[in-house]
Amino acid sequence: MEATAIAPFLPYIFDLLSLAIGLGIPLLLAGPLTWAERRQSAMIQDRVGPNRAPFPLIRSRNITVFGLLHPLADVIKLITKEDTINREVDRFLYNLAPLIAVFPALVTFAIVPFGPDVTILGQTWSLQIARVDAGILFLFAMSSLAVFGTTLAGYASANKFAMLGALRASAQMISYEVTLGLSVIGLIMVFGTLEPNAFVLGQGAYLFGGWIPKWGILVQPLGLIIFMIASIAENKRTPFDLVEGESEIIGYFVEYSGMKFGMFFMAEYIEIVVISGVVTTLFLGGWQIPFLMDGGFVFPWGASFEMAEWLVSLLRFGAFLFKVVFLCWFQLMLRWTLPRFRYDQVMKVGWRMLLPLSLLNVIVTAVVMLY
Amino acid sequence: MGYFIATVDSLWTTFKQALREPTTVNYPFEQRERAPRIRASFALTHDANGEENCIGCKKCENVCPSEVITVVAGKRTSPVTNKGRGYADDFTLNLQACIICELCVQVCPTDAIIMTQEQEKPTFSREGLTLTMDKLYANEKQKRWAWANATVLWDQQDPERGAEKKEEPSAETTSSEGAS
Repeated sequence: MEATAIAPFLPYIFDLLSLAIGLGIPLLLAGPLTWAERRQSAMIQDRVGPNRAPFPLIRSRNITVFGLLHPLADVIKLITKEDTINREVDRFLYNLAPLIAVFPALVTFAIVPFGPDVTILGQTWSLQIARVDAGILFLFAMSSLAVFGTTLAGYASANKFAMLGALRASAQMISYEVTLGLSVIGLIMVFGTLEPNAFVLGQGAYLFGGWIPKWGILVQPLGLIIFMIASIAENKRTPFDLVEGESEIIGYFVEYSGMKFGMFFMAEYIEIVVISGVVTTLFLGGWQIPFLMDGGFVFPWGASFEMAEWLVSLLRFGAFLFKVVFLCWFQLMLRWTLPRFRYDQVMKVGWRMLLPLSLLNVIVTAVVMLY
Repeated sequence: MGYFIATVDSLWTTFKQALREPTTVNYPFEQRERAPRIRASFALTHDANGEENCIGCKKCENVCPSEVITVVAGKRTSPVTNKGRGYADDFTLNLQACIICELCVQVCPTDAIIMTQEQEKPTFSREGLTLTMDKLYANEKQKRWAWANATVLWDQQDPERGAEKKEEPSAETTSSEGAS
């Protein structure tokens, strides 16, 4: 009886839940990521790292939980900080730029499926905020909006350093967008779809008589590498962080302070999560676990293991989260491993190495698929 | 391809590095063993009878190259010996300009001013960096003393005088070492 009563509202509840999860993953991961970045860099450099911020209210007990409260302290600091605005700035664009920086990062996550379709009370709940038919196009359309955030920030700041930083940022982002798009073409050819969830479903197939899952990483290894490099360049992180040079050109956000700077900062970490989510979806099988079918594990050597449907769904959601967190960690590792490129090197790598490589990838994929 | 292999190689290096123990310590809570001869801040001392060593002779004030020491000399009757003697009514040492040259310690005729092994904590105001007489006498109790006082330093600079001195064991040097 109850079931029928809430049945008409179920689609809305599902949508709200999807929204909560889809916004929650990037937003909730972004904070701990700032902590993880500092903590991990400390580990790599044989330091102790952030470990001071105590629990508020019970300060005397000094519970610090490995410094996990630092992101919280950072947020409080950024919000309460004085927001200085230069007299010469273009107020409207100046205030708009941080919003534009965060917006595409958050919106892109809408097309990432974070779990399989779940059936509750006869209705399907697709664990994906928006099932867009041309989801990949939406992804590129939105990620190319991010360049406006940086350019506007530099332009509106009325500061030559900001302008230079913005120019460098926009040149880099536009260069790598081409590569970013081309690196996925091969994958689109293999799976014959533009819809992210269909990608994930397609990656549930198996190669070589069911022994090897048909994940993007195995079908398109070159595509994965190029996509990863290009997306890190899009995110302007080391080795491609020439946009920020603390000692010379500072960056397009020189004039920003307080939470407006915090939004640029947050956008970077949200983008890490989004990149991880997209790479997981396209190349690492999304929520798929190898040999986990709808009814449980079925191994190619004949063994099988029955499982309830809700457990399978939960496992798959967990698998997605695990892959995302792993990729975030991997990006942090890259950040603290590689030295940065010079500006001409970035352009050279982008236009003369990665772009031909991605074109080659498309051609090779086409030839292989033809025969 | 070479770039790719190099990247993977360096990733492995950083990964191995991440598993090592940190070499830095969690500073104010854990402290490393200090160098044995470290001299960082100042203290004024009492003698074995509990009387202030400083006689207000102003030698340290005169010798100080950056003129950060101010002594207000006074005369009082000592509660221990019931005889009149010189005292420092006020003694301030401004650490803002102090160059830690230790000349004040070297010239002190009564081993009154000495150096400590622990430095002063950072403060929020300039006044916090001025060592008042109260602070200097508190340092005597709170901080570990450095190895040197005037007697020891003289002994090092003048071996013959040091030989003379050793015949009469000075109670102050021995007590000061135990008083940490």
